[in-house]
Amino acid sequence: MMKIDREKATDLVLGVLGIGLFLVLWEVIGAYRLAGLTWPKLSDVLAFLFEPSRQGLFLRAMGASFSMVAAGYVLGLVIGIAMAALVHVINPLRPGMDRFASVVNAIPPIALAPIFIVLLSREVTGMAIATLNVFFVIYVATTSGLQSSTRGHRDLFAVIGASKIRRFMSLDMPAAFPALVSGMKYAIPAAFIGAILGEWFGSSRGLGLLMVSAMQNFQIPLLWSAVLIASTASLLAFGAMSLLERFVYGRFR
Amino acid sequence: MSAPHPQVSSTPWAIDIDHVGKVFTLDNGESLVAVDTVDLKIEKGEFVALLGPSGCGKSTILRLVAALEDPTTGRIAIENRDPLSLSRQHRLGVAFQDHALLPWLSVKNNIALPYKVAGRPVDHERIADLLGLVGLKGFENARPSQLSGGMRQRVSIARALILNPDVLLLDEPFGALDAVTRRHMNVELQRIWGEERITSLLVTHSVEEALFLADRVIVMSGRPGRVVKSIAVPFERPRRPEVQRTAEFHSLADELTLALEPEEAAAS
Ligand SMILES: Nc1ncnc2c1ncn2[C@@H]1O[C@H](COP(=O)(O)OP(=O)(O)OP(=O)(O)O)[C@@H](O)[C@H]1O
Ligand SMILES: [Mg+2]
Repeated sequence: MMKIDREKATDLVLGVLGIGLFLVLWEVIGAYRLAGLTWPKLSDVLAFLFEPSRQGLFLRAMGASFSMVAAGYVLGLVIGIAMAALVHVINPLRPGMDRFASVVNAIPPIALAPIFIVLLSREVTGMAIATLNVFFVIYVATTSGLQSSTRGHRDLFAVIGASKIRRFMSLDMPAAFPALVSGMKYAIPAAFIGAILGEWFGSSRGLGLLMVSAMQNFQIPLLWSAVLIASTASLLAFGAMSLLERFVYGRFR
Repeated sequence: MSAPHPQVSSTPWAIDIDHVGKVFTLDNGESLVAVDTVDLKIEKGEFVALLGPSGCGKSTILRLVAALEDPTTGRIAIENRDPLSLSRQHRLGVAFQDHALLPWLSVKNNIALPYKVAGRPVDHERIADLLGLVGLKGFENARPSQLSGGMRQRVSIARALILNPDVLLLDEPFGALDAVTRRHMNVELQRIWGEERITSLLVTHSVEEALFLADRVIVMSGRPGRVVKSIAVPFERPRRPEVQRTAEFHSLADELTLALEPEEAAAS
């Protein structure tokens, strides 16, 4: 017990040190212009970011982007789980669905975005790309998770006379949980990428729009602020999912 | 249901293993004879123990009776019916060689699983009784990962017994136990069995365990498994642990050990 705690503490210290080092490097590179004019000091970016008069701008952009991320994430999650469950129960559907998922994943979102803009609207294109990204990650994780029950457990359910549905509920689903939660973790950056990429294509709101307009108008601190917000949010959500993942692995395996 | 086949309806046996052979096809296309012709009939309420060297097909026979495998030759009937119908009716109890507990359920919920699957109300009192019988009172909320190997095996025995099955299959249920706990569990199992007289088939490597628990002990040869010896155990029930110190017990144990040994020499 003691040993594990110490390991955890070392991990934490190393993690904090790493982040600290990264931030210091950022500041130093900015201060000495090591990467040119477009790399500002961290302190300048933070001052820009927390300037009271800009709070409204950033909060509105965050609200718009994060609601797209969340909606895309939830939608992709639900569709991914539902499709994985469907092809697990009705096995003949599986090869077709697998192929469909990989084809969708193989098309770069850049190529899909114009189609979504035409089909849906500019405002929800980010959400649609996020949904697709998340769907793929969740579908792959869940289909493999649903097959991860051991032979011993399947035998057990056979000898106690479990129906297919009972086995699905009481064995296949809980056995799939660790894989699903890992999928949910990796789906977080996928959702952010999708949503922000979507906003680049002419959405009228969001962090993606801020990035594009800052880039075009050479507003370097604004660009870095938007990037910093998006990355921090993604990292925080990813970290939270890692904690959940650790808990689930301890409990379900 | 279809009309009973004359051959099928006539046997008086609870478990009829009728000239059964099992051949596995391996990944490389070769075939492996796991069980040669085994002919074994078990009466209702009889306790039969199966002894034999490792790999001789004991677990395979249990799996055939549990309808987890289909025989390659011969046939198996339980109460004159397909073995699958027994498990479908939730009347089969099995304790596997590896306990097969669900890691995400507590001990209590693992034992209660057959109730859920059978769609019956959970009898908490019976769960508590069985937990007491297998010496795990106070562990109802523990998770399998928090238990020792022997404790897990005992939970799986409690789970096998929970629905008062008509047929009980035990595959080396006490293999991971120390000698003292094992003897204790033997006494407990003997007592439970004496009360309910479940038709039972036990696989074990312990000659003493087989003699203490069973009405009949079957010895199998090394792979491919065949029955080489079958002895009726004469001891009265209920049996007390002292029976294991009698001269008769020792001479039977010697006889069984002898039947096991030449096969071990031949297998190597
Ligand atoms: N599913 C399978 N596929 C291929 N071969 C198998 C399979 N199951 C068992 N066998 C083989 O059949 C033989 C008998 O196996 P079985 O598990 O019945 O032995 P056992 O008597 O229970 O041995 P032990 O005492 O070590 O548990 C072994 O050689 C094993 O490798
Ligand atoms: Mg075995």
